[in-house]
Amino acid sequence: MGSSAKRKKEKQKDFQKPKLKVGKAKAKPENFTDTSFRSKAITLNQQSLHIAAPTSNSQFTHFLSLLSSKSDSQRRDSLAHLTTSIASRPVNSPLPQPVSVILPGLLPLILDANNNVRIQLLKLLRTLPRNDIEDHVGQLLPYVRAGMTHLAADIRVSAVEILSWMVEAAGENVVSSAGGWVKTMNCFLSVLGWHTEESSRWSSNRASFGKSGSQGKPMVKVLGALAEFLDAGIGQPSGSGGDSSDHDEQSSSPFPLHQMGHHMITESSAPYAYLNLFGQPRDEEGEMYETREDRYRVFSTRFLPAIDRGLKSAREEGGELGRASSGVSKVLKEALAYGPGP
Amino acid sequence: MVKRKLGALEKVEADLPNLQHKIRRDPKSYVEDFRAQHYQYESHREIFMAAPTSATDTGVISLRDLIDFISHVADCYPDILKDFPQQLIDLLMQHHLVLEPELREKIVGSLVLLKKKDCMDSATLLHTLFPILISTPSKTLRALLFQKILSELRTANARTTNHKLNRTMQTVLFNLVTSDRRSSKALWAIKLTRELWKRQIWTDAKTVEIMKEASLSENEKVTAGGVRFFLGGDREREEMEDEDSDDDVDVGRIRHQLGINKKTKKKARVAEKAVAMHKKKEKKKNQPHPLNFSALHLLHDPQGFADSLFTKHLKTSKINRHNREQKLLVLQLVSRLVGLHKLHIMSLYSWFQKYLVPKEENVTSFLASLAQATHDLVPPDVLEPLIQKIANEFVSEASAGEIASAGLNAIREICVRQPLAMNETLLQDLVMYKKSKDKGVMMASKGLLSLYRNVGADMLKKRDRGKEASMSLRAGDREQRRFGQQESGGIEGIELLEKWKEEERRKKRAENGLDPDAEGDEDDEDADWDAWNVEDDEDSDDSGGWINVESDGEIDFSDSEDEGKDRPSKKAKQDAENKEKDASEEAKISSLATTRILTPADLAKLAELRAQAAVDSALPKSRRGQVGDRHVDDGLTAEEIEGLAALSKGKLTREERIAHAREGKTDRAEHKSKEARRKERKEEQGKSTTNKEKARRKNFLMTLGKARSKNKRSLVETRAVLKAHHDRAKRGGKRGNLGN
Repeated sequence: MGSSAKRKKEKQKDFQKPKLKVGKAKAKPENFTDTSFRSKAITLNQQSLHIAAPTSNSQFTHFLSLLSSKSDSQRRDSLAHLTTSIASRPVNSPLPQPVSVILPGLLPLILDANNNVRIQLLKLLRTLPRNDIEDHVGQLLPYVRAGMTHLAADIRVSAVEILSWMVEAAGENVVSSAGGWVKTMNCFLSVLGWHTEESSRWSSNRASFGKSGSQGKPMVKVLGALAEFLDAGIGQPSGSGGDSSDHDEQSSSPFPLHQMGHHMITESSAPYAYLNLFGQPRDEEGEMYETREDRYRVFSTRFLPAIDRGLKSAREEGGELGRASSGVSKVLKEALAYGPGP
Repeated sequence: MVKRKLGALEKVEADLPNLQHKIRRDPKSYVEDFRAQHYQYESHREIFMAAPTSATDTGVISLRDLIDFISHVADCYPDILKDFPQQLIDLLMQHHLVLEPELREKIVGSLVLLKKKDCMDSATLLHTLFPILISTPSKTLRALLFQKILSELRTANARTTNHKLNRTMQTVLFNLVTSDRRSSKALWAIKLTRELWKRQIWTDAKTVEIMKEASLSENEKVTAGGVRFFLGGDREREEMEDEDSDDDVDVGRIRHQLGINKKTKKKARVAEKAVAMHKKKEKKKNQPHPLNFSALHLLHDPQGFADSLFTKHLKTSKINRHNREQKLLVLQLVSRLVGLHKLHIMSLYSWFQKYLVPKEENVTSFLASLAQATHDLVPPDVLEPLIQKIANEFVSEASAGEIASAGLNAIREICVRQPLAMNETLLQDLVMYKKSKDKGVMMASKGLLSLYRNVGADMLKKRDRGKEASMSLRAGDREQRRFGQQESGGIEGIELLEKWKEEERRKKRAENGLDPDAEGDEDDEDADWDAWNVEDDEDSDDSGGWINVESDGEIDFSDSEDEGKDRPSKKAKQDAENKEKDASEEAKISSLATTRILTPADLAKLAELRAQAAVDSALPKSRRGQVGDRHVDDGLTAEEIEGLAALSKGKLTREERIAHAREGKTDRAEHKSKEARRKERKEEQGKSTTNKEKARRKNFLMTLGKARSKNKRSLVETRAVLKAHHDRAKRGGKRGNLGN
């Protein structure tokens, strides 16, 4: 009884009305925080001032470190600086820092909330040398895919832009990297909303959740990127001279050597990546589809119906969207005409 | 207030909580959006898996938010999220060491949420959480996991006992305890088991088995945990039960308030809820009490357990890692087991030999343990040297009063359990101390004396035997029990039941206007018999659950030759007045238990009476003098051995006396007048003061005007006022009593 009485008293205390008195200041609430104090600034007596200007290399690393800054403008400015310093370097000279050092800082910016930062990022990416990109596609792709499915439409669009740049720069690597084909296709379908029969009908709520972007015509851009992506993945191999060159090689090599190219160590940076010796075990979606034949097989079984359906409804919609969809249809038609392969 | 900083997500106006809310309302329409978020999660997971250690959440949406979101809507898309739980489990199992704390906690929470949504079963959840609990170095995570595991087990057992889950979990705990005897990881098993035991979720032998293994562990902490469980687990459980029943609401009061205060829907709902709760509680109260055995009774092999406890932790003094306190705990458990189950560990008694010196620290605990370890099947010649040693070391004129009284008390406690351990000369020696000047010693010695007057009067000197004992000795109807002789069985408290029945009968007869003491004739007896049946039915109604049992009255087994007589119980009762007491007791035992079947109602009453008797004996007044009437389950404590040692210290100071007087009383804050306490109570209940109080407290200046005007009243006015007052008083206040 004793303890419960005490408890009751405590409870009662919470509901007592504070007494207001004329001429007295109002009582402060219990959770009041005194913010009247002022912090004093600390001035450093000895600042590290140098007479000599920092070298361009050290400046480059400095700006690289600023990429993870909290302020939007600082990120954007440092990106701009990096872009100019890369673009203005003498021709054929190496980058101030290797791509493998630059890239980890850049990757999270694909998902940056600020539009300008992302635009600047794309500019920077475009300045990077293409053959360096080829080896880092595996790192880039997850971020791009995360961007493509982002809730914010702007981020989706810029991710699609980055993807189309990647396809342009290293198409073969993009489609044949681990998870590059199936997962990215899935992302495309989800951006376009073509996954199921129901969701691709014109009557379904196309306006996706989240704020529609300020950049306009997102669907058109996505369709364009899809066309490029499909072309890189299952389009007719450029210059069917591949076969002929094979023949040439066969014929040109001296007699005992037979199909020498196949037995040489390949020139790509990670020739045994498909063995997946050190990574997580992959499932069907995350598998590498290295040849066009594989990709075509997967595509025709998993994505073809959905894409056909989507294209049809897009064409029916007409306008700019219809025009963009016709680009995709063209690529698709060519690929289908080429069939599973020679 | 400072303006809240706008998060990046709010800028882009695409927040997951909003989407989550919409999905929950209409999962089908938002499937595409969900799919997108699922891909997003997949990519983030991929990024994370590529470099678990260096993962930093720089993006707008972190993996944590995504996991939270997906697990909240997991039940809407079971086919898309088939392997989501498994992914989370993998993530947690593989990387729980390097995950950042918030993400880690989120994953644990999400897993529990998924279990709640039936996306995974509780066995998987427990199999995930438990290994992490025992391996993680993070304290906060451990606390979280422990709490989650416990609540998971509680919810799984809330409706009905989930035997399957309990069994698997118990097996896991058992394996944890037995797999590595040296590691302290088994502490978690102990903690968990003890908690579940306390809440009466686990009450079976397997639980006890886990604790048994724990107390045989080689890690001293684990051992202490297990031993403490056996010594205190049941008490803890009872206390928990009391606590649960403590906080009930006063339904009457709520109803009353509902009648007075403003009627709102909320208040009506509160009252309804309170009533429902009250009903539920009542129902629970009436349900047959779940039969919970104490942990000590659920042991499979007490002899083996006690043996190995003794040899492992006490006997081998060379590699003794335990400190004194732990050793005492183990000793307490061993002796408790020996006393309770009447085990035989012969080396235990010789082991005691070296600890029985007054200089030994905590010697009273050793003495208590020794007494506890004694029972009537211990050979007296094992105990005799021990008693001799106690007598030599403790009880002498030269030793201090406290020591002597502790020694005497210990000897008495041993002899209560095994009276044959005493020899004649020693007893007569010890009894001489009843003349001691020291009060504590004197009382202890008298205790011993009164014990032996009952159990072995012939060992005492003639003048010490007392009247009763010497008379019965002369009559020769008291014989000393031999070693191993068992008393013919009886039911504890059966005489209480009989007495109660007798009283009930007398009451009944008094109601009917008959002489309560007279023996009715046969017809009267039959009527009475019927009445008893009805009464028993009522009883069984009270105990609940037995209502549908027809005619659960006693069935008379008496043969035809008994018919003519009164029922044996009554006969016995009648005889009791003439015969000597012990004879009547024997008759009683034979009568009630052998002539009829005790109904469940009877058994319930029996339990009640027994509890009542136990409570009575706990009262300080009746406590004194009683020696052997302790329940076997209760252990003997060092305080009991110290006994009235306080008496030998000399006079108490005033403070001590006050404290002593306070002991028996309920806690009261301070001394206050009745009026003041009443006022306090009213204030507490939120009630207002009386008119009298208000008048007394009224501001003086306010009363001034009226007082002044009173002075100026004319005689006529005064008369009118007085008359009105008189009338009012007569009528009984302003409103008056309507009757007159």
